[in-house]
Amino acid sequence: MRQVRAIAINTFKETIRDRVLAVIVIFALVMIVGGLWLGSISLGEQGRMMKDFGLATVTGFGLIVAVFIAAGLVHKEVEKRTIFVIFSKPVSRSAFIAGKFLGLCGTMAVVLAGMGLFLFALVGILDGHVSGMVLLAVLMVYVQLLAIMAVTIFFSTLGSAILASVLGICVFIAGQLSQNVLSLTRLGKNPLTEALSWVIYTIVPNLSAVDVKAGVVGEQTLAWGQIGLWTVYLLAYVVVVLALAALVFRRKEF
Amino acid sequence: MMRRAVAVLVVLACAAGVAAYQATRPGRAAANPHVFVPSPKFFLDFSPNFRTSIADVYYLDMIQYYGEHLRGGHLQSLPAMVDLVTTLSPHFKRAYIFGAFALTDVGRPDLSVKLLERGFAANPDDFAFPAYLGYFSYQYGTGSKQANDAAAARWYQRAASIPGSPPYLLRLAAVLAGKGGQQVKAIDMWGQVYAGGDKYARQKAVDGLDRILPTDKLARMKALTPLQSTLSPKDFEALIAELFKGYLQ
Amino acid sequence: MAQNGQGTGSGAATGAQSRPAVSVSDLHKTVAVGFLRRKVAILNGVDLVVNQNEVFGLLGPNGAGKTTTVKVALGLMRPSSGSIELGVEGLGRVGYLPENPYFYDYLSGREFLGFCARLFGDDAATQHERVEALLEEVSLVDAADTHLRKYSKGMLQRIGIAQALINDPELVLLDEPMTGLDPVGRVEVKRIIERLHERGKTVLFNSHILSDVHELCSRIAIMCKGRVIWTGSVDEALAEAETLEDFFMQVVQA
Repeated sequence: MRQVRAIAINTFKETIRDRVLAVIVIFALVMIVGGLWLGSISLGEQGRMMKDFGLATVTGFGLIVAVFIAAGLVHKEVEKRTIFVIFSKPVSRSAFIAGKFLGLCGTMAVVLAGMGLFLFALVGILDGHVSGMVLLAVLMVYVQLLAIMAVTIFFSTLGSAILASVLGICVFIAGQLSQNVLSLTRLGKNPLTEALSWVIYTIVPNLSAVDVKAGVVGEQTLAWGQIGLWTVYLLAYVVVVLALAALVFRRKEF
Repeated sequence: MMRRAVAVLVVLACAAGVAAYQATRPGRAAANPHVFVPSPKFFLDFSPNFRTSIADVYYLDMIQYYGEHLRGGHLQSLPAMVDLVTTLSPHFKRAYIFGAFALTDVGRPDLSVKLLERGFAANPDDFAFPAYLGYFSYQYGTGSKQANDAAAARWYQRAASIPGSPPYLLRLAAVLAGKGGQQVKAIDMWGQVYAGGDKYARQKAVDGLDRILPTDKLARMKALTPLQSTLSPKDFEALIAELFKGYLQ
Repeated sequence: MAQNGQGTGSGAATGAQSRPAVSVSDLHKTVAVGFLRRKVAILNGVDLVVNQNEVFGLLGPNGAGKTTTVKVALGLMRPSSGSIELGVEGLGRVGYLPENPYFYDYLSGREFLGFCARLFGDDAATQHERVEALLEEVSLVDAADTHLRKYSKGMLQRIGIAQALINDPELVLLDEPMTGLDPVGRVEVKRIIERLHERGKTVLFNSHILSDVHELCSRIAIMCKGRVIWTGSVDEALAEAETLEDFFMQVVQA
């Protein structure tokens, strides 16, 4: 455990320097300019536009940062040969994967917290009152991104970093369309496509089970039980995927 | 030396070309009044998580579209857009209101009414919908003026019955009921206004009643009798006092 | 601790004293290279024994398989067939300095050594002690808080030796330890190796600098094309040629 912690802290130090603060600043600027502009042409719906656009932007920026850093995590060590320093010591492959993932979780928490708080403040100013729902929505984006980070790390153990990042983004999109895949399984036309759909439906993380955005803009009331269950599901998903990544990684040679 | 000069010239020429190209692009191309608007069903099946975002995008689009084509009068795609936005985002109040008014510019107030009714069904706790429906009945009703007024009165009364609604709605309902030939209802409503109102509202109630009540003393008394059961004895006495001022007792 | 091509390691108990520090038996290693996964044989049956408390020199032209042999010993690679056994109880008792090492450049020297110490599971007090002792030993106390990014090649080499010794290993594997060091640095490293020998440790190092090998090693092995073509004591070698260089050329050209 101490090893996992050491690797995690090291990874955090490594990734947080990755111009992370710059991302938050750029995000802030995009929000101010873009969000306010959209609000200005919305006939008085500034608050709603800012919330919607804001959460979409948090998701977009968060996704890009998470995927690209995650894809490079393992790769950078192999390429830069710092990996010899680690595995010539009694460190298990699993501890390495776990530590890398946790370090990245820390960095992403900082990024999303930065963006989330800024959005929270901006919405508060526009609406005249603060909405805790915005922070909850950002938290849910974070949980979704954890699943995608795990998947990306898994792909990175298989091969190239670029492929891993592209696949990570694809899985995110597929996750958003999870409901549609489910409806494919119920078409009942061809047992083969049905089976295939079921496989895809189970493997891809379900990122569309709860619509937090709708709750934030007031379209839906959120069921806390559903949100809790969804979070537990995503965390379990992370555990499974990281275990698979560790398994693949065990076979790797340096 | 020569080579360097040529290279610089090439780069400058390219830069000039880039600027010139952009500067010579034709001004705003005439926007197409026929916009492809996907059916709501497509999005409802598509991505549950982004429904509200898509609604927002089309909402902004709708506003732009309206602004651009209003003068020309070609707003064919407007009903589809309104339909899409409100189907994807049933609690998006402003979309309904904007849509309803915009649809009158397309000459389809009947669609406005249908839209607002849908909005009210999706948001039964919002008094704004029946209030607007009252306005639309009044302004765009298809029957005689009196029938329109009566219909409007019904809507305003409905609106007034929703908790949190402003007091003027009931007064509006009462006035329109009176104009719509529904005297009994009007009197009843004025009575409610009087019972629940402040000094200003009471004055309005008195004026309103005075206008529609018969001038004959007995008839006036008869018309006011139902209010005895709905008003407290103190209120009823005060009301009578006001309404019979100037009448010899 | 053993690495075997087939099945699990033998784990046969022999007396700790008489057990060799490194025992390689008919080791083969083939890798698949390039896009078409061409099979290339790197090790073609390596046989090698390094005894306890020896300073052993592993020589050979580039591409002979020296680095690969060490990597298989550490478990960074798996043997295709044959076996390699280390006479210590696991990587916790081994120290390794890779060739042309690269370390995390966002860490300072001290932070990096602390990280390495934590990977061995040491507690905070031991860590601190070891880190300071090693900084002292490789003369990097002044530069201990500078980021590794700013280290010269010689300084990197020295911090590399420090991380190889951070766990007070029984067996030390050094790949080209003298590269990039100025004469003062080289003398220091030689002294470190001599001190390790005095304290009963086993040192195996690869090197091209035959004068160093002459000075420090008791036994040597010469590898060529994935095989050990000569092994014996330095004295034996010098009996057959004027200098070690001549002997080396003789053997390799044969």
